[in-house]
Amino acid sequence: MELPESGIDLSPTLIVEDNGPMQQRLRRLLTDLIGADAQITAVDSIAAAKAQLGENATSMALIDIGLPDGNGIDLIAWLHVHHPQVTTVVISAWGHEDTVLAALRAGAIGYLLKEREDIELSLALQSIRRGGAPIDPTIARGILALLQLPTEPATTVASGTVVATARPPDHALSDRESEILKLVARGYSNRDIAELTTLSRFTIEGYTKSIYRKLAVRSRTAAVFEAKALGLLH
Amino acid sequence: MLVLTACARQATPATPAVLTIDRAEAVQADWLSGAVPSTGWTPVTLMDYWNTRWPQHDGVVWYRVHWNQTNADTPVGILLEYVCMADAVYVNGSLIHRDPQLVEPLSRSWVAPQYFTIDKPLLHAGDNTLLVRVSGLASYQPGFGKVQLGNPEAVHALYQHNLRWRYGIRQFDFAISAVLGSLFGMFWLLRRKDTVYGWYALSTIFGAGYGWNYVADSPWPFTTTDAWQAFNVAMFVALACSFIVFLLRFCGRRWPRTEGILLLATVAAFAVALLAPGVMGPWRNLWVIPTVVLYYVAIAVFLWYATRSSRIDVRVLAASMLLPVLASMYDLSLYLELVRGTTFLGELTSPVSLLGMSFAVAWRFSEAMRRVEGFNVELRHEVDAATAQLGDTLTREHQLALANTRIGERLNLVRDLHDGFGGSLLGAIATLENPQRPPEPARVVSTLKELRDDLRLVIDTTTHEHDSDLAGLLAPLRHRWSQRLDVADIDSCWQLEGLDGLHLGPARSLDLLRLLQEALTNVLKHSHASRVEITVRRSNAQLSIEVRDNGSGFDLAAARDSHQVGGAGLASLRTRADRLGSELVLDASPDRGVTLRLNVHLQAAR
Repeated sequence: MELPESGIDLSPTLIVEDNGPMQQRLRRLLTDLIGADAQITAVDSIAAAKAQLGENATSMALIDIGLPDGNGIDLIAWLHVHHPQVTTVVISAWGHEDTVLAALRAGAIGYLLKEREDIELSLALQSIRRGGAPIDPTIARGILALLQLPTEPATTVASGTVVATARPPDHALSDRESEILKLVARGYSNRDIAELTTLSRFTIEGYTKSIYRKLAVRSRTAAVFEAKALGLLH
Repeated sequence: MLVLTACARQATPATPAVLTIDRAEAVQADWLSGAVPSTGWTPVTLMDYWNTRWPQHDGVVWYRVHWNQTNADTPVGILLEYVCMADAVYVNGSLIHRDPQLVEPLSRSWVAPQYFTIDKPLLHAGDNTLLVRVSGLASYQPGFGKVQLGNPEAVHALYQHNLRWRYGIRQFDFAISAVLGSLFGMFWLLRRKDTVYGWYALSTIFGAGYGWNYVADSPWPFTTTDAWQAFNVAMFVALACSFIVFLLRFCGRRWPRTEGILLLATVAAFAVALLAPGVMGPWRNLWVIPTVVLYYVAIAVFLWYATRSSRIDVRVLAASMLLPVLASMYDLSLYLELVRGTTFLGELTSPVSLLGMSFAVAWRFSEAMRRVEGFNVELRHEVDAATAQLGDTLTREHQLALANTRIGERLNLVRDLHDGFGGSLLGAIATLENPQRPPEPARVVSTLKELRDDLRLVIDTTTHEHDSDLAGLLAPLRHRWSQRLDVADIDSCWQLEGLDGLHLGPARSLDLLRLLQEALTNVLKHSHASRVEITVRRSNAQLSIEVRDNGSGFDLAAARDSHQVGGAGLASLRTRADRLGSELVLDASPDRGVTLRLNVHLQAAR
């Protein structure tokens, strides 16, 4: 299977972050990646972000969780509905697992961890630019738990069978995707996985992004179903 | 005249076959009188109590009765209603009956009527003589009752009737008193607290002892009638006193002074009866009358109490006493010879009162049982409620204990945090504050980053230790360090084997992760290596850990002597290995890289 995603323009980027040093750090990292002519706008609240999004075209939004006037995840969800063309990336601090999962289900396709080294954040942004998405074992475990897939290593065919019978096809992860997820959960690096699966590292990053997309789709479908059940939609 | 009377009687249509004779002659004699006195005969009317005529006469009185037998061909039945105390009976000069004891201790023939059948040749046509030699004592109503004779069947039927109502019923009373007394005595013995049963039993048993007077045919074990009578009076006193205490208890009262006096009276009665029977017997009324008065007073008070009480058992007891009280008043008159008769009514009513009393006491007993049963039901409810509550409490405590265990584990971990993270933090602060060597910013950043990485390990361990095995805990570390080493152009090669399902516990897991992280930090910072191999392998009860790089290495001895950076890092690694219960083996030499190895015993880990 070939890479399903094309690359993403990192400019123009909107940074929604109320912490000054972190704002500057992200701006510096992006400038280092794109160059001095990068269009980077930084705001420190949801209201300002929405205003900015209404006025100017935006390719990518980096969104912090704890904002003065609300939760970043709500902003991500709002973007997912009103500006689906914007690539959203959540910025998370310590104890990130639940936050990142919530953001992914709200429509984010990536995350940046404040605790990480600059070089690691830069690698994550590069991956996003290539059309991929960063992932780590904790998030992979969380997704597996969410989809009620076994974390144990299993052969591709066997686990694929389980997925195919347990889930409707449009929501299900492909065999490749669940295989990659399980390998990530066990701590294998992208390079290790590339060796094990004979896929390129970039292809693997693309699968990760595809997994995130499915999470969001799944969660929106579930939301519609729940709304119907409650009589809010007809 | 006798004949006339007899004829008159025979003419009575009610009992044509039976002749009742109430005319006789009597004469005094001494105890040992053998021959019929020829003189001194006095006409008397039957029923005759001789003490009214001869108040001081103790001994024998002969009674003579004549009747005219028109036809001697059919046998005749003779009924003597009352003979007190012992007697011998002669018909036409021939002895037909003789009590065993005609002198003291006298037989007690008075308790029952006597019946004889007479036939030829004893029976003559024409005048026949019935002679009855009566031995008696003036104090105890000595005398001779009416004589009835005629058709044996008819007279025997009368005899049976008399016997039943005078003697049989007394036997019945005696037996029922003994049985009830024993029964309630048993209740009391097994339940000493319920003294009302004890007092009822006592009064009933004294009642039986007193009632024996109406049944016994000899004064045994006493040798004189006086002694017998004195003892019987004492029994009567005891009966009355114990009955009064019973009534008090029945009403839920306790009057110690009154009861003491009653006890004293009873003891005194028995003492006088045993010590001076010759005085007490003849003067028994000195005891009997006050006792009877006391008895009546007690019953009157009780009846008064009963009218004001709503208790069913009290009312039943009162009702059961009312009839006997009336009867006993009649009996008293009879006893005091205010009225004449041979049958006391007490014996007729006493079964009624006995049954009434036993009903009252049994009612009380059943009430107590009902209360106990009600209490049992209540108790069962309470026990059920308490059991449920206890169950809840135990469940809660169990959950609390579980929670406490978890909290305890957390506390241990927090302690480790203080030792580890807190210690590193304080060390960093001390280093940065050192005025001799003001740190360059890069060093500060490096120290802070070490702290950050340590905090990450702490967070991973505390968040996931309970739901993840060692393989799961190592995965984030591996992922993070693979990327870092990769960025630094160091190939990392991880060999993790047999770690699925292995749980070391939070503290030891954290130690292991810290050890690996420090080793990798050293590789990243100091080794200049191009490749590092990390192996964590479980084989049986042993966990082997190895970190091998191909970097520049160092001189072990030199590092040990100088307290350089590398030396300090090694000391920290050794401390962690110690905490894991293992010894760190370090293999290093210049240009040949560094290999760090340790073996952890998993048995010790658990």
